[in-house]
Amino acid sequence: MGNLLQLFIRNGGFVTFVLVEVFCFYIVVRYNADQNAIFANTSAIIGGNLMERRQVVRDYFGLTGRVDSLTRENALLMEDLANARVLQMPYRDTFYRVLYDTISKVDSIRHRSVRPEYRFITARVISNSISSANNWIMLNRGSSDGVSPNMAVVSGKGIVGVVRHVSSHFCFAMSVLHRQTRLSAALPKHENTFGTLLWEGGDPDIMVLRQIPKYKTVQIGEKVLTSGISAMFPKGITVGTVCTTPEQDPEYPSFIQMKVKLSQELATIGDVYIVQNLFKSEIDSLKLKIKDEQ
Amino acid sequence: MNSNTFFSNLWRFLGLFATQAIFLKQVTVALGAYFNILLYPLFILFLPLQLATPYVVLLGFTIGMAVDFVYGTSGVHASAGAFSGYARSLIFYTFAPKGGYSGKELIFSPAFFGWQIFLQVAALFFVAHIFWYFSVDAFTFVYVGAITAKTLAAWILSMLFVVLYTALFNPND
Repeated sequence: MGNLLQLFIRNGGFVTFVLVEVFCFYIVVRYNADQNAIFANTSAIIGGNLMERRQVVRDYFGLTGRVDSLTRENALLMEDLANARVLQMPYRDTFYRVLYDTISKVDSIRHRSVRPEYRFITARVISNSISSANNWIMLNRGSSDGVSPNMAVVSGKGIVGVVRHVSSHFCFAMSVLHRQTRLSAALPKHENTFGTLLWEGGDPDIMVLRQIPKYKTVQIGEKVLTSGISAMFPKGITVGTVCTTPEQDPEYPSFIQMKVKLSQELATIGDVYIVQNLFKSEIDSLKLKIKDEQ
Repeated sequence: MNSNTFFSNLWRFLGLFATQAIFLKQVTVALGAYFNILLYPLFILFLPLQLATPYVVLLGFTIGMAVDFVYGTSGVHASAGAFSGYARSLIFYTFAPKGGYSGKELIFSPAFFGWQIFLQVAALFFVAHIFWYFSVDAFTFVYVGAITAKTLAAWILSMLFVVLYTALFNPND
């Protein structure tokens, strides 16, 4: 204590100066709009870069696991690609199957029939939370990579969230573990009957699928996929499996609801894909037209 | 600090603050950001030579806060005041006469040290204060060119007023 007092007496001027400047820094940032904006922007850039560096170190130690996961994911994607290349073409009163590569390059009508609808942008998770009532995920992709708000975020295993806020190099996605999440999900065993998927809080592996018609006899273990009805998520992305017996939907008596165990554990996400709908602006402008007529 | 010294400094505080708030602020408002004349740091410079640095820092912060209140720049002048309060002790140490201060010099004014030394000390002191002020005001060194230009313009104008004030009042306590 005596030594500390001696130190203060010897360096009292400097200590006072530092303390006063720290206080001044606080009031400058707190009460001046310009300085506050500069501080917020700078701290976001520094924070983002620091978190990205931390992630680089983490990535290095998890390389083996990630290579395995990427290899498996690549195999699945190649399989999907191969399947997508085989088309059913109508000819008189029957259909025949044809490989996409064999369609003549000048046959614009047939080429248009296999037009790509989505582009997948790879991204890495920088920060993630699962324990709050409303969870957010920060990704290392931003507007300079083609990311814009309302793009879906998926992983190789399932759905992850929806992009909400975008800066030039980073973006924040609203996790599916957010109270405001409302997604359209379908039951493929029941002619793709769709309902609304939401998170009620609590267990981060469980969501609730509601508004499924009462007469559907849904079994535990059935697959739940995205319905493709919204322009955000492509059709057929895995959501999870039904994990409880369906019960009456408390808000809509003629519907049932059930719990769904997510196929993607949100606590372990690392590499994700941001899904860009290439026809989003076209769909949005069409939607605007019917909005005027409602 | 005896009562004479206390009241001298109190009147100096009030006088410089009033000049800054009533007259010099209007000059900046009328002529633009490059005509920023800062005279109130003279209060810090003319504080008693023997006053311990922590008190000088706190008094620099106080007059800065008062000016901030009038200028609507919460904390910017206060930060510069505290900084020049600390810088003052380093400048005085650098310009100390051979053998150190005798104790007869009450404040660092031409009455005790002559105009030549006083102008050197005041010039350095005001450069430090004004540069710190514009740096905190900009809050980023992206605008280092503008900060330097504003510092230079404000320093030249402020020094004219410093000379005028010192010649008029010839402070000695």
